[in-house]
Amino acid sequence: MNSTTGERIFYFMNGLLLLLLGLSCVLPLLHIAAMSLSDKHSIASGAVSFWPVSFDVSAYHALMAETPVLRSFRNSLTITVVGTVLNMAFTILAAYPLSKTYFIGRSFFSFLIIFTMLFSAGIIPMYLLLKALGLLGTYGALWLPGLVSVWNLMVLRSFFEAMPEELEEAARIDGCSEWRLIWQIALPLSMPALAALSLFYAVGHWNAFMNVLIFINDSSLFNLSVLVQQMIMNQTLMQELVNVQPDLAMALTPEGVQAAGIIVMTIPMLLVYPFLQKYFVKGVMIGAVKG
Amino acid sequence: MFAPILVFFLIFKYYPMLGLVIAFKNYRFTDGIWGSEWIGLDMFKLIVHTSQLLDIVWNTFLLSGLSIVAGFPAPIILALLLNEVRRAWYKRTIQTFIYLPHFLNWVIIGGIVITLFSQSNGPINLWLDRLFGYTFPFLYNETSWVAIFVGSGIWKEAGWGAIIYLAALSSIDQSLYEAAGIDGANKWQQITRITLPGILPTVFIMLILKIGQLMEVGFDQVYVLQNNAVAKTAEVISTFMYKIGIQQAQFSLATAMGLFEGLVGLVLVVTANTIARRFGHGLW
Repeated sequence: MNSTTGERIFYFMNGLLLLLLGLSCVLPLLHIAAMSLSDKHSIASGAVSFWPVSFDVSAYHALMAETPVLRSFRNSLTITVVGTVLNMAFTILAAYPLSKTYFIGRSFFSFLIIFTMLFSAGIIPMYLLLKALGLLGTYGALWLPGLVSVWNLMVLRSFFEAMPEELEEAARIDGCSEWRLIWQIALPLSMPALAALSLFYAVGHWNAFMNVLIFINDSSLFNLSVLVQQMIMNQTLMQELVNVQPDLAMALTPEGVQAAGIIVMTIPMLLVYPFLQKYFVKGVMIGAVKG
Repeated sequence: MFAPILVFFLIFKYYPMLGLVIAFKNYRFTDGIWGSEWIGLDMFKLIVHTSQLLDIVWNTFLLSGLSIVAGFPAPIILALLLNEVRRAWYKRTIQTFIYLPHFLNWVIIGGIVITLFSQSNGPINLWLDRLFGYTFPFLYNETSWVAIFVGSGIWKEAGWGAIIYLAALSSIDQSLYEAAGIDGANKWQQITRITLPGILPTVFIMLILKIGQLMEVGFDQVYVLQNNAVAKTAEVISTFMYKIGIQQAQFSLATAMGLFEGLVGLVLVVTANTIARRFGHGLW
């Protein structure tokens, strides 16, 4: 197809605009990364742009040695892995029956579930409930309230609904049990949806902030989000460091240490991002087609 | 097989709704939810008659209203721009970049924002200082704080939000464009006559969902960005509930605020859907 000069200019400007928008999403992060790897004077003088100046890892050194960052990292991992497994198990258990037209009370239960999307009691009644159940201060308070996301449930339900009924009939004639039907037919056929939903749940758990802040008060159970947020909010770390390791403290700026904390929290996300990208677009699409 | 799910929804979704009665009671821990004394609408009267509390409700409306007005068109425009890219690899690369912020949580983004806009040594103020010999307290001025709040929300979610519109765009019949091209329609006419009507149902659905969230300003976003200098503008229902409910144990007042938030949200989404249904684009 031949394009006119006007069209060529249009496509060029469009590409340029998108490039700028794209860069605006990545460059701030690059700046933080560069700061975390630069020395004190370069940070203070503003010499750091997108590449480390006077390469220096003392910010990471201080982070590893003087803050519970490794413990919080492990906590974040525990919250994410266990939480995601529980989420998936219960989402499957909920979505499968709701996808079957012969399930009695299907529309009533669907309404019951979808209504919770439109109205929820909010944080205080949940807090009191968790307190009454003795779950406050445990990871149960993070895993149980959000066990099934209604949106994800609906995505998986429509995926199950799209499966040909003949498959189920054939399997039943061969004497296949209900559980085996789920395990060996429904689930293997829904792998793309399952992958996408697991990733959505996992990202949510990794990024958890408010629930940890509210429901967990023992700092040894804090995840990375809360730890890094506290490092940004108050500079107690720096003051402690001055007392414990004055030499190390002299080589640091609060900004550098904060930047290192942010990067530690971002790296796992960047590592899984390529895998995420493969599945999440598909996941959003499934939801978009049949909500 | 469905029983555990039912139990889950009853305990963790519906039982707390019963717990909402403490908005009409003077909740004391020793008396429990059911034993506490009834006080009727006292908490709601308190909200309506306390200017500080009304300010918080107003802030919630303002911040989320601005976020929706400014943020809603962003993903649509982004999707339209992406849709006009002719080279597939270029489109993919840009998409990889603009989806990324969605996966970073507010603690990371808050940290980035605070670093960039810091008055003492943030890069933006360093440039201002170098060029004009002048720095500005972006995070401590109410107007610029609101702009940063809204902007950071768009920065985080616009790219991700574009996915759903890209899906809608790809389902438009390509032969319509060919026919329009033959009839001499230019790019702009093709966009307004074919593309926009094509994605309109999606736009309506997303708008209903957004309006339902009008009363919810995400806790994380406000919490990580707020500071004492802008407290008058930056306190919203969710952060206030945390401060007086969880930290100061004023459960009844916090629940009343929460109930108000939830009810307004429910009314808004039902209204929006009714209106959309009149145009044939309802969500249910």
